[in-house]
Amino acid sequence: MSSLRGKNLTKAFPGVLALDNVDIEVQSGKVHALVGANGAGKSTLVKILTGYYGNYDGTVTIDDHEVSLRTPFDALVNGIEVVHQEVDTQLVSNLTVAENLYLENFASNKYGIVIFTKDLKKRAEKDLNDIGFPLPVSAKVESLSLHEKQQLVIARALLHKVRFLILDEPTSSLSLIEAEKLFSMVRKLKERGVGILYISQRLDEISIIADEVTVLRNGKRAAYFDHVPELSKIIEAMLDAPQGELFPKRESTRQNEVVMRIENLRWKNRVNGVSFEIRKGEILAITGLTGAGKTETLKLIFGAVRPDEGKIFINGKMVKMESPVVAIRNGIYLVPEERRKEGLILDKTARENITVPFLKDFCGFLGRVLFKKECHHAKSLAEKVRLLPCDIERQAQYFSGGNQQKIVVSRWLGGKPKVLLLDEPTQGVDIGAKKEIYQLICQIAKEAAVVLATSEINEAVSIADRILVMRDGKVVAQLNAKGADPKVILSYAAGVKQ
Amino acid sequence: MKGDFTDRMTNFLLKYGVITALFILIVFFSVSTRAFFSLDNFFDILRAVSILTIVAIGVTFSVVVNGMDVSVGAVTGFAVIFSTALMVIWQIPWYIAIVGSLLIGVGIGLFNSFLILKLRIPDLLATLGTLYLTQGLQMWITKGDAVYRGMTNPWSPIREVTKGFIPKQFLTMGQGFIFKTESFRGVPVPVIIMICVVLVSWFFLEFTRFGRAFYAVGGNIEAARLAGIPVKKYRTAAYVISAVLATLGGLVLASRIGSGAVKAGDPYLLDAVASTYFGFAVLGVRRPNVWGTFLGAVFVGVMLNGLTMLNTPWYIQDFIKGLVLVSALGISFAIRKESR
Repeated sequence: MSSLRGKNLTKAFPGVLALDNVDIEVQSGKVHALVGANGAGKSTLVKILTGYYGNYDGTVTIDDHEVSLRTPFDALVNGIEVVHQEVDTQLVSNLTVAENLYLENFASNKYGIVIFTKDLKKRAEKDLNDIGFPLPVSAKVESLSLHEKQQLVIARALLHKVRFLILDEPTSSLSLIEAEKLFSMVRKLKERGVGILYISQRLDEISIIADEVTVLRNGKRAAYFDHVPELSKIIEAMLDAPQGELFPKRESTRQNEVVMRIENLRWKNRVNGVSFEIRKGEILAITGLTGAGKTETLKLIFGAVRPDEGKIFINGKMVKMESPVVAIRNGIYLVPEERRKEGLILDKTARENITVPFLKDFCGFLGRVLFKKECHHAKSLAEKVRLLPCDIERQAQYFSGGNQQKIVVSRWLGGKPKVLLLDEPTQGVDIGAKKEIYQLICQIAKEAAVVLATSEINEAVSIADRILVMRDGKVVAQLNAKGADPKVILSYAAGVKQ
Repeated sequence: MKGDFTDRMTNFLLKYGVITALFILIVFFSVSTRAFFSLDNFFDILRAVSILTIVAIGVTFSVVVNGMDVSVGAVTGFAVIFSTALMVIWQIPWYIAIVGSLLIGVGIGLFNSFLILKLRIPDLLATLGTLYLTQGLQMWITKGDAVYRGMTNPWSPIREVTKGFIPKQFLTMGQGFIFKTESFRGVPVPVIIMICVVLVSWFFLEFTRFGRAFYAVGGNIEAARLAGIPVKKYRTAAYVISAVLATLGGLVLASRIGSGAVKAGDPYLLDAVASTYFGFAVLGVRRPNVWGTFLGAVFVGVMLNGLTMLNTPWYIQDFIKGLVLVSALGISFAIRKESR
């Protein structure tokens, strides 16, 4: 029996130890589940094992022979392959299934120079039949469902004689039925003697599929079980000890006035009937695992995505959120999750980033920007959020993560926020800036309602008034933050508790 | 039933719309003008689009790898001046002029890929730079003059008259006919060259592993890289092929006009890009493909030829080209979106 063993794996980035002396062993014919909260180091570990990081400390051995995984090719040669969460990055969408199956054959003369589509299809049909994966060989990949795309990548790995397969959150966007199909596929792989590293945040499926479990927390191995233990034990290992001093002491400023009410919001199968209301001065945390529908819900409220169904009431009046323009006019502002991609114009200055939504207010005749007025405004907002360095003429990309976030938040303080939607505002932010952002949120909540989408349960418990737990696009639990038990919340989010 | 019918019509329109339209056009022109439907006119049309097709197939290669080469028109023009200047001013044998021009074409392609892959200039900007560089060189070679027999040598201090000329062998490329019979004028040589380019490129892109790799690089560069495809080499190759085909187009053009006109290649840039994108619509594949590009060029050729015979004024021809391009792409992309 062969095994893939990582020993003392360590990966440091400037300022962060993403992975700290982690040991892991994947044995052929077994499913090793790797669990952990966001930022626990799961994807860092995957990237090391797939050769994505050329530089890492520690050793990887296969059957006691040390292997060096410096490039993706090294991993491939050693029979290690991965099915990414974003499986599209591994496929060429405008080519057919058959062509994608033999992509690497086009890189060498192994199958000759001239390739006829007919032969390719025939070979694909035969190969897929042999491994028992019925896929339409001449369909273009872009027309496949997510599940079929995963199947295709797995099939391709099998044709390469994969020995160790890493499945990175494979079910995060699958329906229940599709997930079932995936599990039976995983069982087939086990029978073929493939060793599987199964990464997931969904604990309910761990007990269905896994043979052993490793829990990561803050880059370290928090626990290892050679069987699937009681899920409560896993949950305990996943959760951080509460860090009291990180969060500001906060008295609830909740008032009686309901500012916003959401009714039965639906979009594709990602948001399945979300309803809630929020009062002035309240902080409402929406928590749940990645892919639970938090981001989508916020985008629906902000009008960045058009809902299939559902109503939004602002101060009791129904508003059709057709676009962010309407939302902003109604005092609803969004700080998006991916600040570098969705939040900032990176090559523009902090000043321009701060004034972009309300630039109209600083314009004179024929839309000429009144520079002094704009500067003054930007400067005062930057001071309010304590931007560091407080240089509004610096390009947004040169600020640290936390200060970039402050720029995005401060832009909205220039308006009159009624409801501020924050999507993972402290992700990738260092501790000092985190503290400041929490303070800022509490301050904003004195006059407005704040919806805080976060996958950090401690964050939700510590600064919110109320907590909604989402799973599969639905609100599965509503609790008061005061005295809420993080373990209970995680059980709801991970599907252990219904 | 009805939905089924609409679906099938939509599919038919997507796949064969352009070809059907081409067919209708041919029937229409054949009925309304007497001269249109003849073998000679058929080859005239093909000859008229031959240079464009050759250049456009080069552009197709750059678009296949998800890039863009806007230097092709200038490179075509450069080849016109360079090859004729070699023969007329410096009296170099015609075959060396051809080989030399093609080698310079390879060089320009390598230069483009150097700018794009090594210096990481976005392709549109890099090839725009090359456009001006080659255009500038083109003018510089003759100090702005056209090249013709008996011109004064621009580089001679005493401005002596040049003794070189463009030989018959070279002119055959653009003006010759083969397979002549008593009743048949023959097939124009540029058409033969074009058909060779079309067939070879088609075979190369559709039936060889290299072609698949080209499409893979254009479709998802990361997936292609991880599959072990040397993506940089393929992108380099695409720009080299593009420049070489533009040069070949220039050589045929020089031979066709029999002298070296300045900036003769300019119109080919826009027409070549248009044909490539028109090719997206042909057969409904929505990706650059050789037959599509070829049929796109032929479609426009038939249209212009027929309209000329109908005495349509020359000044509305560009407008009609635009109309055809917009409607073909509109149909191809809009229908697709609806059915999703």
